[in-house]
Amino acid sequence: MNSNKKFTIMIAGVITVVIFWIGWVSSNPKDEKAMASFISVEKLLNDKMKKRTKLGGLVKDGSIIISETNYLDCSFVLKEGAAELKVKYDRSRPDLFKDGAEVIITGQYLDGTFYADELQTKCASRYEGDLRDESSYKLTEIET
Amino acid sequence: MTPIAGAVALNLAFGFSILSIICLFIFTLNEDKRLFLTGQRLSLGISFFVFLATFILWYQLIISNFDIDYVARYTSIETPFIYKISALWAGQSGSLLFWLFILSIFATITVLQNQSKHHGLMPWVIISLSIIQLFFLILTNFVTNPFMPTDADFVVANGNGLNPLLQNVTMAIHPPTLYLGYVGFSVPFAFAISALMNRDTSTLWIQSIRRWTLVAWLFLSSGIILGGWWAYQELGWGGYWAWDPVENASFMPWLTATAFLHSIIIQEKKDMLRIWNMALIILTFTLCIFGTFLTRSGVMSSVHSFTASSLGPIFLIFVFLILIVSFSLMYLRRSELRSEKRMESFTSRESGFLFNNLVFVVMCFAVFWGTLFPVISETIRGTKITVGPPFFNQINVPIGLILLALTGVGPLLAWRNTSKQSLIKNFTFPILSGLIAAIIFLFIGFKGSVVISFSLSVFVLATISTEFKRGISARTKKFKESIFKALFEMVSKNRSRYGGYIVHVGIVFMFVGFTGHAFDKEKEFSLTKGQSDHVAGYEFTLLKLSETERPNHYAWISDIRVTDNKGEYVTNLYPEKRIYFHKNPDVNRRQPHSELDIYSTLNKDIYSIFSAVDNENGVAFIKIMVNPLVRWVWIGGYILVIGTMIALWPRKD
Repeated sequence: MNSNKKFTIMIAGVITVVIFWIGWVSSNPKDEKAMASFISVEKLLNDKMKKRTKLGGLVKDGSIIISETNYLDCSFVLKEGAAELKVKYDRSRPDLFKDGAEVIITGQYLDGTFYADELQTKCASRYEGDLRDESSYKLTEIET
Repeated sequence: MTPIAGAVALNLAFGFSILSIICLFIFTLNEDKRLFLTGQRLSLGISFFVFLATFILWYQLIISNFDIDYVARYTSIETPFIYKISALWAGQSGSLLFWLFILSIFATITVLQNQSKHHGLMPWVIISLSIIQLFFLILTNFVTNPFMPTDADFVVANGNGLNPLLQNVTMAIHPPTLYLGYVGFSVPFAFAISALMNRDTSTLWIQSIRRWTLVAWLFLSSGIILGGWWAYQELGWGGYWAWDPVENASFMPWLTATAFLHSIIIQEKKDMLRIWNMALIILTFTLCIFGTFLTRSGVMSSVHSFTASSLGPIFLIFVFLILIVSFSLMYLRRSELRSEKRMESFTSRESGFLFNNLVFVVMCFAVFWGTLFPVISETIRGTKITVGPPFFNQINVPIGLILLALTGVGPLLAWRNTSKQSLIKNFTFPILSGLIAAIIFLFIGFKGSVVISFSLSVFVLATISTEFKRGISARTKKFKESIFKALFEMVSKNRSRYGGYIVHVGIVFMFVGFTGHAFDKEKEFSLTKGQSDHVAGYEFTLLKLSETERPNHYAWISDIRVTDNKGEYVTNLYPEKRIYFHKNPDVNRRQPHSELDIYSTLNKDIYSIFSAVDNENGVAFIKIMVNPLVRWVWIGGYILVIGTMIALWPRKD
């Protein structure tokens, strides 16, 4: 066997091993936080999914309640279409978190409440038009 | 200058690019010299009109002409001058124009630099560059035109203003640096395509682009590091890298480009790996376009996701076109690409380089897989699965450590084959140092990958210092020079080699910094005046909570005293909670922002975030993170830049 063949076989071997390994890690990640399924609020409520999920939606107006004893504890209602879900979150909140903000949360659903441990806000519409529909942007808002 | 002139300039550039491609293409068929000159000048014309359009947009941004939608969206009258300039790359259409602008600078340099060189290669080089320009001209002319007038039937009195997060000097230079990197790879790619078209895939094209590649690589590397630095200073989650799709988008071409930089050395010296190098540069360029696509299309949800837009499909088509055309071309030229040379031994420098390449590409694949996994799983299984940092860390930490080890092994291997004696001679000192370091680290109480990473770092530093020592002592013996003179002469005689070693030192420093991440500590708490709390052995006491009004925002400032576990004073931290646009009557338009304060030493950073303020009760909500060794990452970055500059510095001759 010439050396080039040996190299080819060895490289092919390494690649195969790595691909299997990546595939294996993709299906059995070490840390449960490695992956989360992105589903709709409606589906979560219907299926009562217990595994780690990621949800997107709007913060219902006036639903943010901040605990009197611990500022970090807060609850709010996440709205996606007609579906509504009560969310609890106890870490520091992003600056843009407020009524009507578009948020993405990650966590687990348990007995009617969603316990989120990650909360991301999408960039404020002020800077990039509406995220879902750019053409909905109106400059009338800044008329003086 | 009216904005119309800008739109017209873009139209003209579009026309010129088509003409230039046609002229040069006919030239490649009939070899009529006049057509080549025309094509070349038309190509310079494209760049000229792109420059003109860019300067007009810049001018409109500076004079705040809010009749242009782009100006009204990204600047306001109050926006400071420097951020009016940087607003050119704040939004989508502007940043595409900026891409084109940089490409045109590079195209102009390439054309002017090679007027009397590389006559065989140039026609196809210019055609390739013009096609890339054409693509961006189609985007800026027809899809998202930066000169689009404001869509309103009234006079816009003031614009939106630039996002305060982007009002930061790093943010003004991070995107351009990254873009210079992304765009820079267009030139080596164009040379590669030209080499394929000309059926000359020997070392000529490699020699003509080595420096370009290094420049592009330097910009890409510094762009990535600056982005991490900005995230660390501004975003307030205490980290610099989150495996976010857009970060990955810049990391993937960096990986293949780094592999390419290594493997072209083999082609230059040994004329091997022709196919591999071709494939690498094509992949690198494709990943650069793909990166721009990921950043600009909004397919991926991320902090960087700017807008969902119509750009996605067009970009994807372009990416597939590049891949299909380039790889079919490679297939057609497969007989020319075949090299006679063979690998002789596993313990040779060639095979060391080959393995390093393999690891880079594998890592790139892993990152690619993780980045696109959500899309893949959505298409196949119907559920969208998001992939977080733990996945990337689990896969990339071991690969990174292998890479680190190879960084040490590679330089000690000889070309063709390394004899047993020289293996023993070269590796004894570095391996011993690594082992001793490992024992010490285990003794201190470090575990697992931390020990491996630190000891490998020692091992690599030991190999590099052996290399330097060997070179210096050879010179001091031969020429009777002083050590410093010998060092200077040695480096300047062989800049790319020793510059490369210095880059490796930078990478080792960065690895040390990454490893520090394993010891991060964080805690959130609330403080009233005089209260204190503890994190990682430090005590944090709120001395004062003050407020102040500044020109464009209102700020609450906490004054926190930090003392260590012996009660000794360390520093005072002043994190701020700010409200931008605080005078806006509409509360929803006011924008809160947390300005961090970081106390940074070589050993650790103390990172403070003022999350929120309870005004009535005088309570400050503070998040503290203690992040060891972060500074090593930035120092490593500086060393990397210096090393690359040494490798780039032109020789006197």
